Amino acid sequence: MPDAADLEQRLVLLQAEIDWPATPALAARVRARIATPSAAPRPWFQNRWALAAAAVLVVLAALVAYTPSRDAIASWINIHTIFTRVNQLPTPSPLPSGPLGKRLGLGDPTTLDQAQSKLSWHVVVPASLGRPDEVYLQLPPLGPPQGEVTLVYKSRPGLKASGQTGVAVLVTEANGRVDTQFFGKMLGNGTTLEEVTVNGHKGYWIGGQPHVFFFIDADGKFRDETLRLATNTLLIDDNGTVVRIEGDLTKTQALEIAASLS
Amino acid sequence: MEGRPTDGELFARAQRGNQAAYEEIVQRYQQVAFRTAYVITGSAAEAEDAAQEGFVKAYRALSTFRPGAEPRPWLLRIVANEARNRVRSAGRRHQLELRVAERFRPGDAAPSPEAAAVAAEDHTWLLGLVNELSEEDRLVISSRYLLELSGEETAAALGIPEGTVKSRLSRALDRLRRRIEEGARA
Repeated sequence: MPDAADLEQRLVLLQAEIDWPATPALAARVRARIATPSAAPRPWFQNRWALAAAAVLVVLAALVAYTPSRDAIASWINIHTIFTRVNQLPTPSPLPSGPLGKRLGLGDPTTLDQAQSKLSWHVVVPASLGRPDEVYLQLPPLGPPQGEVTLVYKSRPGLKASGQTGVAVLVTEANGRVDTQFFGKMLGNGTTLEEVTVNGHKGYWIGGQPHVFFFIDADGKFRDETLRLATNTLLIDDNGTVVRIEGDLTKTQALEIAASLS
Repeated sequence: MEGRPTDGELFARAQRGNQAAYEEIVQRYQQVAFRTAYVITGSAAEAEDAAQEGFVKAYRALSTFRPGAEPRPWLLRIVANEARNRVRSAGRRHQLELRVAERFRPGDAAPSPEAAAVAAEDHTWLLGLVNELSEEDRLVISSRYLLELSGEETAAALGIPEGTVKSRLSRALDRLRRRIEEGARA
């Protein structure tokens, strides 16, 4: 029999994989209802979304009982990221040569102010690291619908350059609807995944052996050219903005950086 | 971090009659409210109506919301009540069939389609076992894990005392573990 903690973890991870019916946009309708003391009954056609959702439900094949693999987990939890546990990591794509932005698929070099002027959401900066040495902006199709910003920090006392990226810390930020996912993480057996909370924001700490990172485009497809190895990473959901802090960091260092975001 | 109003500030504004603030509250909570209602009614259309009606009733009852209290359990209790009333008046509930999302489609440039397929199958299998549990067991497990409700919120959603949630959950998990073992042996 699986132990209780194991089952609980599997259920927690299962929740992210549920194919919920689309949440109807209730806010405007409720607003309309409370603005008028006695609202008319809702017209039938406002239920059309339900019909559409029913029409696109995927018909699953008959379930066959089998011994589930404990390593087979996949999840995204409010951080626009799918986690997949695999026994063997796929071979990363060869990194393109050239400047850092191109090599790691970070987008075009820019400045903090220029990047902020092109985005509808607020870019946060870790006060503990100060102004970034470089800033990159990635827009669709190779960036999420609302763009992605990466702050680059080169090595400094206490923070050495990572063998995977060549820089000390990458802070990547992207914003989107809660139910959209654009990042993927494949974790091997030597990588740990741990839930953390920073300033009340939920997140995950990925430690141990390097894991594989990839990007999922607007059509829900993997962009295999973005598949690369990543070292220790902290993911935090900051009010709908996922902040990814990556480097050869200890968990304490990463949490300190995250706690100083503003 | 961002300077957007907290739930408490929004509730205070809504209590003073600010309808835009209440609209923002609905925006923040419509997903968890709708899904909670869906787990209870088993029907997306019923859940939509229950959630909408629940939010309207909650607005009318805002004067009973105690400043400083947690808004989620308060709202979920009202929406879940509405959902249960609908099940009761209909005389039956729909058979809830939660499904695992198909995230990995054939033909996608997936880095490891095999691993993805194994992960999806594992989820499907476990979810199938949850779907087969008794309604009481399925509701408490779905609320706590699949909806990620806290103990207090689960109690509000199920209309039971918080102390009962723990014992009911523990028994439900035991039964699920036994089913997993039976399935693994089969």
